Amino acid sequence: MIPLSYYVVVSTLMFVIGLVGVLVRRNFLIILYSIELMLNAANINLVAFSHYLSSMVGQVLSLFVITIAAGEAAIGLAIIVVLFRKRATTNVDELNVLKW
Amino acid sequence: MNLTLISPELWMTLLSCVVLSIDFLAPQFSKKGLATLSIIGMALIMLHLVAMTWFGVQGTLFNTMFVLDPLAIFFKIFILFSTILLLLASLDYVDRLPHFQGEYYYLILFTALGMMFMASANDLLSLFITLEFSTFGFYILVAYLREDVKSNEAGIKFFILGVLAAALIAFGISLIYGDTGTILFYEIAKISPKISIGLVIGLLFIFIGIGFKIGAFPFHAWIPDVYQGAPTPVTAYLSIAPKAAALCLSLRIAFATLSDLKPDWVWLIAAISIFSMTYGNITAIAQKNMKRLLAYSGIAQIGNILIGMAAGTKMGSDAVLFYLLTYLFANLGAFVVVIIYSNMTQKDNIDDLSGLNRRSPLMAFAMLLFLLSLAGVPPLAGFVGKVYVFLAAVEQGLYLLVSIGLINVVISFYYYLIVVKKMYAVEPEEMTPISLSIPLRLVLYAGIIGVLWLGIWPKPFIDWSVSATHIFTHLMSQ
Repeated sequence: MIPLSYYVVVSTLMFVIGLVGVLVRRNFLIILYSIELMLNAANINLVAFSHYLSSMVGQVLSLFVITIAAGEAAIGLAIIVVLFRKRATTNVDELNVLKW
Repeated sequence: MNLTLISPELWMTLLSCVVLSIDFLAPQFSKKGLATLSIIGMALIMLHLVAMTWFGVQGTLFNTMFVLDPLAIFFKIFILFSTILLLLASLDYVDRLPHFQGEYYYLILFTALGMMFMASANDLLSLFITLEFSTFGFYILVAYLREDVKSNEAGIKFFILGVLAAALIAFGISLIYGDTGTILFYEIAKISPKISIGLVIGLLFIFIGIGFKIGAFPFHAWIPDVYQGAPTPVTAYLSIAPKAAALCLSLRIAFATLSDLKPDWVWLIAAISIFSMTYGNITAIAQKNMKRLLAYSGIAQIGNILIGMAAGTKMGSDAVLFYLLTYLFANLGAFVVVIIYSNMTQKDNIDDLSGLNRRSPLMAFAMLLFLLSLAGVPPLAGFVGKVYVFLAAVEQGLYLLVSIGLINVVISFYYYLIVVKKMYAVEPEEMTPISLSIPLRLVLYAGIIGVLWLGIWPKPFIDWSVSATHIFTHLMSQ
């Protein structure tokens, strides 16, 4: 049986990789993937805890997280498409109309 | 299962679905009619909530996931009232949208529904879902002007930071769940005196996520850009309703769930409050755009509200609720003036407001009252709100926080008064009077009445805030 700490280490690593991706990468799509990675890190945690605590709550939670991640991807891609039609770029650094 | 508790939300769901279906099935139905339908519907739901307060309906549903208590009812009425005023204010604006006029009303109703649920969220799962539920609508609303580069840019910035906050909250929830084995607030409250590393990190993540939603200092980066780029009515909405709903959640978490750990979170909230006030006020001085100025002033106002939270007493929570009421009238009113003005001229710089008094004395006078109320001049609403918040903090001996707050009040006078000076003392470039439509007049009058009433005779509203927070009676200071 795999100890719980293995799961937590993997999920923390995934979370950190996602966070660094959001902060470092400059492409919308990759930022979106990185955020999905962070959400899935939470899912791994939830399912692992749910197994070790023998409670179903964690699995239910993770289903909701997946649903919300899907909704986010739909809205995010729609906004990106609108922006791409107008500006023909996917680089966040080129979004500099609004600044003080 | 007592479905009466959730009936306002059920009616609201029905209303938004009806609005969407009419718009979809009968495209020839006038969009003004849709707006009227939504406003009447929401007014009825508000009456329903008032009746529920009257009969003292309260309780929990779905294994305490959903709670209906006076606090939730207060915030639901608050959200519905601001939504009604906002729909009145956006009638003219929507008329000039090139596309998707009906969907605008539907999305506003749906975000309002999300925020009503948020006021009742009572465990970590409903916290996560309702936060996302209400933000989804806002992602679309902020990016609503498809052909406008600014709106697109604001949309993508809001989206990335909003989703990042959601991911942090999800991870935080997973850690709290792993540490305590539960996601229910009242069970966490039982465990919380035994604080552990997982719980601390998890709560910090949730704290950051809520900080994003209310736009407090280290998490404020999206606010100015999104406020400037979004359609002005959406900005007005974004500056009030989601902040109130997120504050309701943070009151529930900090005051009810974590009340035993008060010494551990008070300094954190006090620090955020100090930085929000100082940063917001100082940066606001340099602004040229009215919406950006109101954005920074909003960050500073959140700092003021957090003074009440930092007090951590029953009186502190009363002060937070009352301050939100004063903020609703003053801030929404100020935004309505900007909406009217930018409808007319397509411009929203501070300089463009020059000589407003010559063009529309009513608008200039209303703006004067709203800005002075935001600054906290007696006898207007903002003054009573600020005094209340400061008193709550003084009672707890937070003198440093209060003195920084007072210094910030003085700083804020400067930039509010610059706008007033431009409106009254500078000659306008063109003299054509600005005509106001009836709904916009209504909103302006509502704002003026609210600002004066809450300033001159605040007692009924203070009583309402006090009775709404009776679940925090255990924090009553001796």
